[in-house]
Amino acid sequence: MQPIKVQRKIEPFIVFFVIASTQLGVGMLGFQRIVAASAGYDAWISVVIAGIATNTVMFLIYKMLKEEADLVSIHQQVFGKWLGGMFNLLFVVYFGYALLTVARSYIEVVQVWMFPDLNVFWFTLFFFILVFYVVNSGFRVISGLSFFSIVLPLYLILVFLFILPYTDFRNFLPIYDHSIKEILQATKDLTVITLGYETILVFYPFIKNGQKSEKWAHFGLLFTTFIYLYITFLTFAYFSEEQLKETIWPTLSMLKIVQFPFIERFEYISIVNWYIIIIPNVCIYLWCASRLLKRTVNIQQRKSVVGLLFILLFLIPQLETRYQVDVLNDYIQKIGFAVNYLYIPLLFVLLLIVKKVKNKR
Amino acid sequence: MGFFFKKGNKQPKLKEQYSEETDTAPAKSKDEKESSYYNSETNLHFSIRYISTIVDQDIIQKNILPYLLDKQFASIADVKKILPIEDVQIETNEALIEEKLFNGYLVLKVHTDKQHVAFIAAKEVIVRSLSMPEVETSVIGPKEAFIEAIDQNINLLRIRLPVKELMIEEFTIGSVSKTRTALMYIDDIANMENVNTMRQRLQAIDFDQINDSSYIEQLTADNKNSPFPQFLDTERPDRAAGVLVEGKVVVLVDGSPHALIGPTNLVEFFSSPEDYLFNWITASILRLIRLFAVVFSILITPMYVAVLTYHYELIPKDLTATLITSRQVIPFPPILEALILELTIELLREAGARLPTKIGQTIGIVGGIVIGTASVEAGLTSNVLLILVALAALASFITPVYKMGNAIRFLRFPFLLFAQLLGLLGIVFCLLIVITHLLRLTSLGRPYLEPIYPPRWRDLKDSFIRLSFDKQIRRPSYVQAQKEIRFNPKHQKRRHDIEE
Repeated sequence: MQPIKVQRKIEPFIVFFVIASTQLGVGMLGFQRIVAASAGYDAWISVVIAGIATNTVMFLIYKMLKEEADLVSIHQQVFGKWLGGMFNLLFVVYFGYALLTVARSYIEVVQVWMFPDLNVFWFTLFFFILVFYVVNSGFRVISGLSFFSIVLPLYLILVFLFILPYTDFRNFLPIYDHSIKEILQATKDLTVITLGYETILVFYPFIKNGQKSEKWAHFGLLFTTFIYLYITFLTFAYFSEEQLKETIWPTLSMLKIVQFPFIERFEYISIVNWYIIIIPNVCIYLWCASRLLKRTVNIQQRKSVVGLLFILLFLIPQLETRYQVDVLNDYIQKIGFAVNYLYIPLLFVLLLIVKKVKNKR
Repeated sequence: MGFFFKKGNKQPKLKEQYSEETDTAPAKSKDEKESSYYNSETNLHFSIRYISTIVDQDIIQKNILPYLLDKQFASIADVKKILPIEDVQIETNEALIEEKLFNGYLVLKVHTDKQHVAFIAAKEVIVRSLSMPEVETSVIGPKEAFIEAIDQNINLLRIRLPVKELMIEEFTIGSVSKTRTALMYIDDIANMENVNTMRQRLQAIDFDQINDSSYIEQLTADNKNSPFPQFLDTERPDRAAGVLVEGKVVVLVDGSPHALIGPTNLVEFFSSPEDYLFNWITASILRLIRLFAVVFSILITPMYVAVLTYHYELIPKDLTATLITSRQVIPFPPILEALILELTIELLREAGARLPTKIGQTIGIVGGIVIGTASVEAGLTSNVLLILVALAALASFITPVYKMGNAIRFLRFPFLLFAQLLGLLGIVFCLLIVITHLLRLTSLGRPYLEPIYPPRWRDLKDSFIRLSFDKQIRRPSYVQAQKEIRFNPKHQKRRHDIEE
C-alpha cells in the first residue's frame, strides 16, 4: 500500500461527522413501524441497546485497527492472501448491495411522496452523476459532504418539536411491557438503521492520527443513537400503536402536521433534505467498495466506480414494486446483522489468535 | 486530446520565427534618438541614445547634458561622480542596452572607451493622481485607491506598513509586455509555504502579455475551470495592508489598480473593508445580511419555478391564491417566464456596465421601470416574479467583491434549469454540486471553504461574524502564519466583577 498524503487525510474529529452520516439515511424515515411490530412501545429500549451494541463493535474495530492498517490487511493477516481476497470481494458486494438499498429506498420515497410518475432511470442517472462527481473528488470531499449532511439538516431537530402539541406521552405506559426476547428481536430489526459505521474499516488509513479519532467515532454513534431515540420517542407519543402499524414512513407522516405561514406541506422540504442526508451515505459505500477493489485486484478506483455505478444504474430501474424494495431492506438487515454483530467480533477473535501465535514464534 | 489536436508541432516554429526577428537588427523606431556631443574641457567625444517618448526631456536638459558638457568628464567612470542622478550604472554587457533603453534609461557611450556603457535613469513616470475607490466604495474609512503605477502602489503599502519585514520580490512577466510584478509579504508573519507557492506560480507563467492583475489571477489559479475567483482582488491599500498583516501574500502588477490577495476563502469574499470600521455587532449583522442576500439571490427564482411547476401544494392556500391571480393571464410556463425576466435583468446589467455613467442611469430607468411595468401589463410576466427577480438582482449587487458577484450572477441559471427538471430535488442537486465543487477548490493549496469545512471554530470569529478586536488574538488558521498570535492578551484589562 502506498502511503497516503497528509493533505488527503482528514482530521480526527471529522470522523464524528463521517460515522454519523453513514448511519443516518433512509432507514430513519420508516424504522419505527418495524421495531414497534416486535417490541411495541418498549422499542425505545431497543434503540438504547442498539446504541450500546454499535459502540461495542466500534470498540472492537478500533482494537483491530490498532494492529492493522485496514480491512484488507486484517483479512490478509487472518486468512492469507487468497481467502482474504475472497472476503474483501464479499465486502465489495456487501457495500454495493447496501448502496443499492439506500438508493432504491430513497427513490421509492420520492416516487410515493413527490413524483408518482418519476422516470426512475433518468432520476438515477442524475443522482449517479452527482455521486460520481463527489467520489471522483476523493475521500476528503466525501467527508466534507458528510459534514454538510449533518450540519445542514440539523434544523429538522427543532422542526420536530412542532409536533409536540399533538403528542401523548402516556402511550409509553406501562414501561417494560415486553419480554427481553421481544426487545432483543426489535434490536435486531433496528440493524438496518445502524449500518454504515463498519466502513471505517476501509477509510481508517485516511484519518490523521487514527487512534485519536476513536472518541469521535464513539461520539458519532452516540449522536445517531440520540437522534433515533428522539425520533422514536416523538413517533410513539404521536401515533397510536394501531396507527403506526399502517404507516410505512412515520417520520414523514409526522412532519405533515408541521406548518409555517409560507410552507404548508413540510414533508416535501424534509424529503428534499433527505437527499442531502443520503448522498454521503451512498458516496462512502461506493468509495469503500472501489477502494477495496483497488486494494484487492488492483483496478484503478475511477474505473471501478464507473463500473459499479453502471451496474447499479441497470439494476435500480428493475426493482419496481414496494414488495421488492421491502425484500431489499429485509436482506440488508440480515446481511448487515451478520456482518456487524457476528463477522466483525469473529474477525476480532481470529486476529487476536493469529497475533498471539505469530508473536510466540 | 492528442487525437484531435496534434500537439507540439506548432510551438517551436513560432519560437523560431520570433527569435529570427529579434536577431536581425530591427528598423529603428521613430522615437529612438541618438546624438553625439563634445566636451571641450576634456576633449571627449561621447554620444547618447534614448527613446524620446519614455524619457523625461527635462532631466536630460537640466540634469544630464549641462554636467556632461561643462564638468570634468574625462572617462566613463566620471559619470557617476559628476551627475546629480543616483541611478547610474556602468556596464560592459552590450546585451543590456536594449532592455535598458526601453526601460527609460539613457545610454551613454564614450568614443575612446568602446567597452563600457553607462546607463542613466531618466524615465518619465506618468502617474495619475490618487483617486477614490470606484469598485469597493465605502461610506467611512480611507478613501484612497491603488492606481496603475506599481511604484506608487508599493509606496501606498509601505506607508501603511513601515517595517523592514515587509518584503518585495519583483518579477518580469510576459514575453512581450515585460510587466513588472511584485510579490509582497511580511517576512516574519507570512507562511513561507504560501510565498513559495506563489513565487513558483509567478515564475512558471509563460504568456506574452499581462495587461492586468486579473491575467495573473487566471494564470495562477488552483483550478482554472472554476467560476469562483480563487484570489481576492482589491483596489484598497487599507485592505491589502490588512491582509498582509494577517499573513497573506499580495501581488501587485504594474498597470493594474487591483492587487491580488491569496490564500483566501469563500467567506472572505463577502466581507467588506468597512466591516472593520464599524463596531463588531453592526459589522456582524451586515455580514449575515450579505450572506443571506447571496443565498436568496441564487435560490429565489429557481424556488419560484420549482414550486409553481411541481409543488404548488407546498405553499398555503392564501399565498397560492396571490400567486395564481398574478399568473392568471400569463401564457408561458413559469420557467420561460423566469428565464425571460432573468435574461432581461442580465441585459440591463451588462448594458449598464458598458455604457457611460450618464446614459447608464437612463438605461436603468428605461429597463427597470418601463420594461418591467410594461411586461407585467402586457401579461408576459407576473408581477410577483418581477418583484422576486428584481430583489434577487439587488441582492446579488451586495457582494463586496465584483468578481464574486459575477460568479454568483450566473450560478442561478443551472439552478433554474434543474428546478424545471426535478423541482426542489433539482435545486438540491445543484446545491450539492456547488458544495462539492467548493469543497474541491483550493486557494494557494489552502481549502476554499474554510472555516466551514474543514470546520475551524476559531476562524469563525472573523468570517460570518466579526468579533471585537480584543477577541482577534490569533491570525486566521488557514493562512498558517509563522506568528499566529497577533497580540498578547495578557496586556488586556481584566474584567472586573459587578460594581458594588
